[in-house]
Amino acid sequence: MKERFIEIFIKSFAWLSGLLLLSVTFVIIGFLLVKGVPTLSLSLIFGDTSPADALLLRRQVLEGILPAMAGTGLLVLLAVGMATPVGLAAGIYLAEYSRGNLKSFFSLFYDILAGVPSIVIGLFGFSLAISLHHYVKEIYPCLLISALALAFLVLPYLIRTTQFALESIPAEVRLTAPALGATKLQNIAYVLFPRSLPGIASGVILAIGRCAEDTAVIMLTGVVAAAGIPGSLLSAYEALPFYIYYISSQYRNSYELQTGFGAAVILLIICACLFLTAFYLKNQLMNRMLYRR
Amino acid sequence: MKLGIIKRSFILTGIFISFYFIVSSIAPAGTIDLFTSEKGDIKISGGTAHIPVMKDAAKQIMEHNRDIRISIAGGGSGVGIKQVGEGLVDIGNSGRKPTDDEIQKYGLKLFQWAIDGVGVIVNPKNPVKALSMSQLSEIFAGKIFNWKALGGPDKPINVYTRDNSSGTREVFWEKALDKGEITDKANVVVSNGAMKTAVANDPYGIGYVSVGHMDNSTSPVILDGAEPTIENVKNGSYKIARGLFSNTKGEPKGLVKKFIDFLFSPEGQELVTKNGFISVK
Amino acid sequence: MEKTTIVETGFLGAAVLSASLAALILIFMLFLGFPLFRGGYFLTLLTTPWNPDKGFFGIYPMLAGTLSIVFLSLCWAFPLSLGASALISVIAPTGFAKFCKKTVQMLTGIPTVIYGFVGVFLLVPFIREMFASGSGMSILSASLMLSMVISPTMILIFTDTFESIPASYSAAADALGASPVQKLVHVILPYSRRGIFAGLILSVGRAMGDTLIALMLAGNAVAVPGSILDSARTLTAHIALVIAADFDSIEFKTIFAAGLVLYVFTASLILLVRIIGRTGMKNR
Repeated sequence: MKERFIEIFIKSFAWLSGLLLLSVTFVIIGFLLVKGVPTLSLSLIFGDTSPADALLLRRQVLEGILPAMAGTGLLVLLAVGMATPVGLAAGIYLAEYSRGNLKSFFSLFYDILAGVPSIVIGLFGFSLAISLHHYVKEIYPCLLISALALAFLVLPYLIRTTQFALESIPAEVRLTAPALGATKLQNIAYVLFPRSLPGIASGVILAIGRCAEDTAVIMLTGVVAAAGIPGSLLSAYEALPFYIYYISSQYRNSYELQTGFGAAVILLIICACLFLTAFYLKNQLMNRMLYRR
Repeated sequence: MKLGIIKRSFILTGIFISFYFIVSSIAPAGTIDLFTSEKGDIKISGGTAHIPVMKDAAKQIMEHNRDIRISIAGGGSGVGIKQVGEGLVDIGNSGRKPTDDEIQKYGLKLFQWAIDGVGVIVNPKNPVKALSMSQLSEIFAGKIFNWKALGGPDKPINVYTRDNSSGTREVFWEKALDKGEITDKANVVVSNGAMKTAVANDPYGIGYVSVGHMDNSTSPVILDGAEPTIENVKNGSYKIARGLFSNTKGEPKGLVKKFIDFLFSPEGQELVTKNGFISVK
Repeated sequence: MEKTTIVETGFLGAAVLSASLAALILIFMLFLGFPLFRGGYFLTLLTTPWNPDKGFFGIYPMLAGTLSIVFLSLCWAFPLSLGASALISVIAPTGFAKFCKKTVQMLTGIPTVIYGFVGVFLLVPFIREMFASGSGMSILSASLMLSMVISPTMILIFTDTFESIPASYSAAADALGASPVQKLVHVILPYSRRGIFAGLILSVGRAMGDTLIALMLAGNAVAVPGSILDSARTLTAHIALVIAADFDSIEFKTIFAAGLVLYVFTASLILLVRIIGRTGMKNR
């Protein structure tokens, strides 16, 4: 009898939890979409500047969220551009050239880095900027510093994904090229690396998503409320997640609040697309592993 | 023909404008045309009360000349003063006069281009419309904590205050609370805009904000009989007033000087009044 | 050949550089907060309140804020995540389970600022009206939304753990006629203890390090919170709020103390998971 009771309890609890979480999720996303989708329009992005003028940089966009989108885009490009070579190289080293205690040691440091709160990374970036400012007068919290800090943020993910992708390659594939006389490096360059590309690519895309959505790091390293499209690496810039945060606490009228919802929907769409792409690529990796094409 | 009329009115307007500028060029000349052949960046940060005027000015200038980039950040008066002193920004705004220490330490030059006040706000749904100064002190100190003690609904009073770098807070603390205590249970918001939003969304909230920022999303509170309107600040009947300053490290030069001049120019001062402050000219 | 060695040295260089970052961050925190560590002042910092006007720069209220929000959000998230992962891995029919898992995976990609944004406009007014105490910006609101943020990752870790029990155990249970729930309770859960613990610890780290939810929803008052309906400030929100203050002041330096506390906490949690994992290996 007691067994039966426990069984019913656990089953209902599991179902309740699942349904509760699902429904809260739908409420959150639904609320956002309901309020945000109606605001999606060209004027949300471009304000009262014509799209052609804005995109060709002939005129500044002052009332739309294009500068924020451009800022986020540039940030992501720079951050991932800086982090990917280093992350990939370190991942390759970890997977192919290290073993035992040394590997474990490196791995620990990467895990710690991955666990550092984003605001502490932002603090680090800020401190770097201020220290450098004493030597090079031009440097202060700006696009470059933010991108650098974001690169620090996503580095552990890139390293781990590369490492994992390389390590999942089955032994038969690993041994083929060396058996034919290739050096270790040639093996990596011609066989292993191309093979793990889908996994690595999905890691890169997840890193892109992480950079696009982060707010804490950029708040401390140079994002501002109004700056137009950034002119140089050392200039202040706007970003989409910061815009959303800023609007939520300081909207001046209901129109501005609407733009906040619109921006949130756009950010959601961007992240969803990135995520789906990464997911698709990861599945490709799975398929390749299982069916060994 | 239609085109003829438009062309003619442009020419006429041009003549009038030129005439106007020639006449007003006795004062520090700050016309938008001075920005025509300029290029460069201006970084501004600091007082959040200044932001609407900064944004409008930046909009006019950037629309006129796309080679100029003006970035505006908030942070509060303390941030503005410190960042301009450290050379991190070109113009540091403050809603309070920098202290002598600050002026000396950083070599600041002050430019006050508007007069503003700091007033108490509550939610429009709140029936309490007037308070005495002593009631105000007790509310912010946390000694009165339910609206029913003031004739309002039986609900707890939610106090909102600003962070430590805020000039608005400094002025409010000094002049309205007479340096009294602000309860540490108060919710902290980071700017005038945020304060307004918070109180507008909380039926039982109370806070303080720049008079120029007040609009009908919140209700102003009459203090000891004086209503916090900009007219009352001007005629002196509302005593909690303050200047809006833009500070630079040393004498401003080049583009930055032109921006400051623009603030004092007729167009600039018009932006000041348009945003609810008192012009200084 | 020389060329090969250079590239391979490059790999090593990248690995060392990345590893040193973790150490560098710690060093910067220590170095920049140095004046605070002299004469045991640091300990005072951890136990005194925050009132800069009166010269109090303690981060104790923020510590209390962080701990209460994290603890509460785990109270909501842990049972729900456990239940949901049980649902996905064991109890639900395959089609629905797959759908749930896909949804959960999507959820991990949602930016936290969006949770905060919706929280401000949906959750805060609700809490305010429902409990008639406080402004709605409270530990309760922040912890509820934070639990939504950490649940997806927790669920994924738990389901991975549940699904990684050796097939022979699962088959044995089925062969003996166990129902899914019985299998769950008697086979899967005991075996997954370590994985569940790891998932829990990692989520604690994640919750502790979150800035935006607390910044937007918890009210940021400087008092030590007395009830879950009180406004509170976390270490992370504190850093974001004070970053604007004067560089040279003690006030500013306290954010490095806060950063240090956060770093040490999260690093210790990571180490803890490591150690558990290692002893787990040995006991197999």
